[in-house]
Amino acid sequence: MKSKPCCHPPAARTGRRAFLADLGMGFTGLALGEMLLRDGICRAGETGPWSPPDGSPHSRPKAKNVIWIFLVGGMSHLESFDPKPALNEFAGKEIGETPHRDVLTASFVNENLRIVVPDDANGHIRHKLFPMQVAFQKRGSSGLEISDWWPHLGSCADDLAIVRSLWTTDNNHGAQLQFHTGRHVLEGQFPTIGSWVHYGLGSLNENLPRFVVLGTPIADCCGGIGAHGANYLGPEHNGVQLGVDPKNPLPFAAPGTDVFREEQLGELQLLGRLNQLTALEYPQDPTIRARIKSYELAYHMQTAVPDVVDCEAETATTRTLYGLDKKETETFGRQCLVARRLVEKGVRFVQIFHGSNGGAGAWDAHGGLKANHGKMCGEVDQPIAALVKDLKQRGMLDETMLVIGTEFGRTPGTQGSDGRDHHPFAFSVVMAGGGLQGGIAHGATDALGFHAIENRHYVTDIHATVLHQLGIDPKRLEVPGRKRLAIDFGQPIREIIA
Amino acid sequence: MRHVGAGLLSMLVWAHISHPAMAVDYLRDVKPILRQHCYNCHGPLRQKAGLRLDHVTFMRRGGDSGAAIGATSGESLLVRAVMLSDDVERMPRDAKPLSDEQIATLKSWIDAGAPAPEEKVPDDPRRHWSFQKPVRPPLPPGSVAAGAVQNAAWSAHPIDRFLAAGHETHGLLPTGAASKNVLLRRVYVDLIGLPPTPAELQEFLADPSEGAYERVVDKLLASPQYGERWGRHWMDVWRYSDWDGYGAEVRESKPHIWRWRDWIIESLNADKPYDQMVREMLAADELAPLDADAARAGGFLARNWYRFNRNVWMEATVEHTSKAFLGITLNCARCHDHMYDPISQTDYYQFRAVFEPYDVRADRVPGQSDTRQDSLVRVYDAEAGKPTFLFIRGNEAKPDKEHPLAPAVPRALGGDALGIEPVALPPTAYYPGLQRFVQQEVLAQAQAELDRSEPAMAKVNTALADVRKKLADFTAAKSAPSAAKATAATSKDAPAPANVAKDAADAPPAPNPSAPKTEAPETTEAALGAVVAEAESGAALAEQEMLTASANVVAVRAKIAADDSAFAAPPAAHAKELAREASRAQRVFDVHQAKHNVMRLENELAKARAATDDAAKKKVAEIEPKLTEARKSREAAQALLGQAGETYTRFGQVYPTTSTGRRAALAHWIASKNNPLTARVAINHIWLRHFGSPLVPTVFDFGLNGKPPTHPALLDWLAVELMDQGWKMKPVHRLIVTSSAYRMQSASDSETNRARDPDNLFLWRMNPRRMEAEVVRDSTLRVADALDVTMFGPDLDQNQGLTVPRRSIYFRSSKEKKVTFLELFDSPNVTDCYRRGETVAPQQALAMVNSSLTLAEARRLAGLLAKELPSRLENVPSTPESHSAFIAAAFQRVLCRPPSREEAATCGDFLETQARRFADPQALAAFTSGGENPVKPSADPLQRARENLVHVLLNHNDFLTVR
Repeated sequence: MKSKPCCHPPAARTGRRAFLADLGMGFTGLALGEMLLRDGICRAGETGPWSPPDGSPHSRPKAKNVIWIFLVGGMSHLESFDPKPALNEFAGKEIGETPHRDVLTASFVNENLRIVVPDDANGHIRHKLFPMQVAFQKRGSSGLEISDWWPHLGSCADDLAIVRSLWTTDNNHGAQLQFHTGRHVLEGQFPTIGSWVHYGLGSLNENLPRFVVLGTPIADCCGGIGAHGANYLGPEHNGVQLGVDPKNPLPFAAPGTDVFREEQLGELQLLGRLNQLTALEYPQDPTIRARIKSYELAYHMQTAVPDVVDCEAETATTRTLYGLDKKETETFGRQCLVARRLVEKGVRFVQIFHGSNGGAGAWDAHGGLKANHGKMCGEVDQPIAALVKDLKQRGMLDETMLVIGTEFGRTPGTQGSDGRDHHPFAFSVVMAGGGLQGGIAHGATDALGFHAIENRHYVTDIHATVLHQLGIDPKRLEVPGRKRLAIDFGQPIREIIA
Repeated sequence: MRHVGAGLLSMLVWAHISHPAMAVDYLRDVKPILRQHCYNCHGPLRQKAGLRLDHVTFMRRGGDSGAAIGATSGESLLVRAVMLSDDVERMPRDAKPLSDEQIATLKSWIDAGAPAPEEKVPDDPRRHWSFQKPVRPPLPPGSVAAGAVQNAAWSAHPIDRFLAAGHETHGLLPTGAASKNVLLRRVYVDLIGLPPTPAELQEFLADPSEGAYERVVDKLLASPQYGERWGRHWMDVWRYSDWDGYGAEVRESKPHIWRWRDWIIESLNADKPYDQMVREMLAADELAPLDADAARAGGFLARNWYRFNRNVWMEATVEHTSKAFLGITLNCARCHDHMYDPISQTDYYQFRAVFEPYDVRADRVPGQSDTRQDSLVRVYDAEAGKPTFLFIRGNEAKPDKEHPLAPAVPRALGGDALGIEPVALPPTAYYPGLQRFVQQEVLAQAQAELDRSEPAMAKVNTALADVRKKLADFTAAKSAPSAAKATAATSKDAPAPANVAKDAADAPPAPNPSAPKTEAPETTEAALGAVVAEAESGAALAEQEMLTASANVVAVRAKIAADDSAFAAPPAAHAKELAREASRAQRVFDVHQAKHNVMRLENELAKARAATDDAAKKKVAEIEPKLTEARKSREAAQALLGQAGETYTRFGQVYPTTSTGRRAALAHWIASKNNPLTARVAINHIWLRHFGSPLVPTVFDFGLNGKPPTHPALLDWLAVELMDQGWKMKPVHRLIVTSSAYRMQSASDSETNRARDPDNLFLWRMNPRRMEAEVVRDSTLRVADALDVTMFGPDLDQNQGLTVPRRSIYFRSSKEKKVTFLELFDSPNVTDCYRRGETVAPQQALAMVNSSLTLAEARRLAGLLAKELPSRLENVPSTPESHSAFIAAAFQRVLCRPPSREEAATCGDFLETQARRFADPQALAAFTSGGENPVKPSADPLQRARENLVHVLLNHNDFLTVR
């Protein structure tokens, strides 16, 4: 089920000319209004009646784009970015038998958690401690500790900002949706971070969608297309799914050889004009605005999309950097390379899903964690590192923020004989670029990696950090009638901002 | 201090277990134990011995035996009850005792003073609104205070009275009536899924009489397209899916399930009552076992067939039967008791038990003996005794085998005993081979084989006589003087062995293996001999074939006679005799068939031996064991020949003679006026599809976690109305679309309304809606007069969606098999689509701009419109007058309205500039890729510009929008 797009207040009073200008960039180029505003700072709207955002940032932006990688199923923080020697020391012992037994009675246990399925087989505290399944090394001059399953990303340590103190509230995979909307699945579906960026920021390239989704979306069990949806912001702010095959990035990319380009352009110009006339008749109907924009976008996507997803245009060195020459990294590497090409062309927000398997997600290592995470990391480590290196060498890392997230961590205790269960009390998120510091680890978990205890951050603090760097004040994006809570906005993680 | 002391005590109590430092917390530690082990009998639903344990207040108050908890654990009945050594008396009754750890938790909590946070006392979930039978509420008063009901129409119609009451409560003023153009297009798309033709529009616009609109409504409801339009809606809800799989392997649903789709369309067109439709979908095989038409309804259950896992299949059946008909999320109780609704995990599995015996079969349909080619997919109870077990925590690896569960429906939903009665099936239902058409077709087929075999044999015999004569002639001639001459003549005239065989019959030739390969003159007689020998074996085979076919006819006749008498009620007196006769005929036939088989293999073997290549050797090796086997079978058949018996091969499978009656009982319970949910859920689905928003927003969840109705009285009034109309839906559709509410315009500039009800929950205006996927495609074809309105039949290939102009409902639709064009416009998710998505996406724009469908139909329609222009404009095509005539016609066709002056002017300019573009094609750049189009663009620049204009209108927001 999808909710109807929100009803924007009428534009009737703003005058016909302004309204038309607001509606269309046209098919031949960028609208003047939008270009003028692009790098300016919005001053209007601070007082007076509410109006939808005009696409300009609220403060001087430090980043222009975001690449948001999501590892579906729950990556273990204990085998990636948050080493816990105590796990090895007390391996096989019950938590209650160790000096760290107070983690079980910490207030977080109740305060954090909102259980969806009380007696589910998964999502429990596991008491028997499970040693780390991989060794850690200090990396780079910063000496950030990163596990041996991430050798490539480890070599970028000095560019990374690791946040080790994330927490969420869902002990099941609804946390995937929660990571993107900031709300527990029992509370419903809300706009996602990508759609807020789309809603708040103007386009840098009208030839491409502002918010692109690569990889297979999250399964319906855990949020489905809701995890890149705009909900009440309206369907025009949904993420647009693209394939990475230039021959078929999306269906109906061209009309056939008996149509002239000029013919089609003429048609679309007429269409835009007629739809604008209709929009004047129905100023309350947000769908017309969405449809007008969808046609403009479609026109430009026709040529821009096949071009931008064409990795053949890259040098062999670059292709190798992303691992396009190896079976295990080829798929995800291609998505990462396309992501770079997309932000290079001005796409604001690229969301890449890794590990979608039609269910809970491929990272969900309830058993055989070593084999599972070894394989999963092998698929993503090199391509993600390539993104960092490639963006850096192109001078793009400063204005592109990279976020590598997952829905929750995994239990310090063992599930079955060799797995870890879902763990909402602590997990890590890695960020890079976009005006953040490099070589920094922020926040900390307790000795077992059970609770985030220092500088705790709920998932929307990541959203707030992203929006802050993009120059957006989320409180100024609020839509009338859709009251947001403090927890929806989060707080930027100032300690990692350069 | 007391608290600290309690904490110390609890540490002591806990010293032996693994959480020594943990203080007992009511919500975290105690409540889960009580919920899992006690609430079932001592909770909001049931209070055995007057005791409730779901709130501390109740525990202190206690039940018949006094307070459950006292000042210390030692003085608490609760602790005593769970620690009793008597297996009968101990709580929880009939279950495993609580663990020591759990008991310790309870004790420490009580000893700590039984602290618990403030909690609301849970209401009895059984009192939830949707679990109470709807009663028809009185209509709100029609004419009320100033500023309320706007006009007489709003107080005349019952639906409007209810909505007006909502407007008054919320201070809303309804918008005015939609224009006739808008209204007609709205009601056409709504009721038949197609826009009106220009003639239909003109007729309506020109009819100012009272009841003009109502007459249109009646016409549309009587139109066969109504069933297709609303059939698609119900197919969403009932999860219609064509077969799905990997390659040719069927993994989900079944081939030929389209008959269920046809049943839906036919039933709706016939205004079959909703309750009857529900009953037929769940249990037509039990309620009307001889009705092959009704059996198609079993697609609802057959659709859940799943190759890999019976539990997945059963889970889908339970989940979607309850969601579709009852608006209840029974699936939430699969692993544990329902979190919100009074449905226990046991309820879930008892509901499953209703379906446990059912399976899916493919019966023969007239005209097709091969059920892989076509069949009637239907359900039946295959295994009456199959037990149902609760899966512990929903884990199929952990069935609770000690407690097989009886079929039942959740008690809290008013499910008294279902009254399940086994159904004795009539013979043709459990033995489909007994149907007259099957008997006749089997007999006709046997007769046809015989009819073919007789002339074939005659032909082979003629050929044999011919070569025999030639051999005789040759032998005679050889003994005569001119031998050499005869030799020459014979070798020229005698048919080659292959030709003899070919002429003779389909049977392969059997060359004499010893026959030499060359035709040296001195061995020609031997060669001729070989030809004769081969023809002889061919003739023998043909004869055997005829004998077999003949025996088959005899056997089929005997079996029909035996079947008819055996399955007659009561069985005919001579049934046994006829069975013996059929058995004997069968055995005769078996012997003939076995003989034929042996001969055929012998011939093949001889032929293979004659050749020397590797393939032939391989073939020899393949045939030899088969021949051995065939000979054994022949001997076995011959051995049986003399023995008396009453068995024979039936015409297909014989299924169990009784059905459990479980599904029939469930169907009666669901499709009952006493069921509080059924009519409400159905009305909500109908309302949603007329207005674009439902009365209960959570369309498949009317439970405690669902959202309450925006207009509870209206919902109940309509639900009762549906039932009082004998569950017929057409009167309800008519009622809804003739309301003033339905006829409102969707546009409004009322700031007040918008501020008070931005989401239009209280329907102060009509909701504009994007056409559903099927309507977009069908309307595109319709406006160009290209829609093929042929109804019914097998599912069409999903890859032909752009080229075959049938209605979209007839194209294959399953998880992986969908028409891409439709998918982009949010076509249904076949696993779950209780409500369609309504997105706006650039991919939709690409489909409308670039697909061969819209391009072709635009070109076609522009051609039609040009022909329809007044003849005086034909010779002067490029004038303002001809432009405006064309533009007006195009607007009317595609958008069902005239263009505004500004639109007309804009389009006129477009025709001029676009035509000028085409005057110099050399200056233009063509696209280099895209689909082939069967309709080419016009070579005439102006006509091509017109095609472009029509194409633009097909892409117009208001073509895709129903205002």
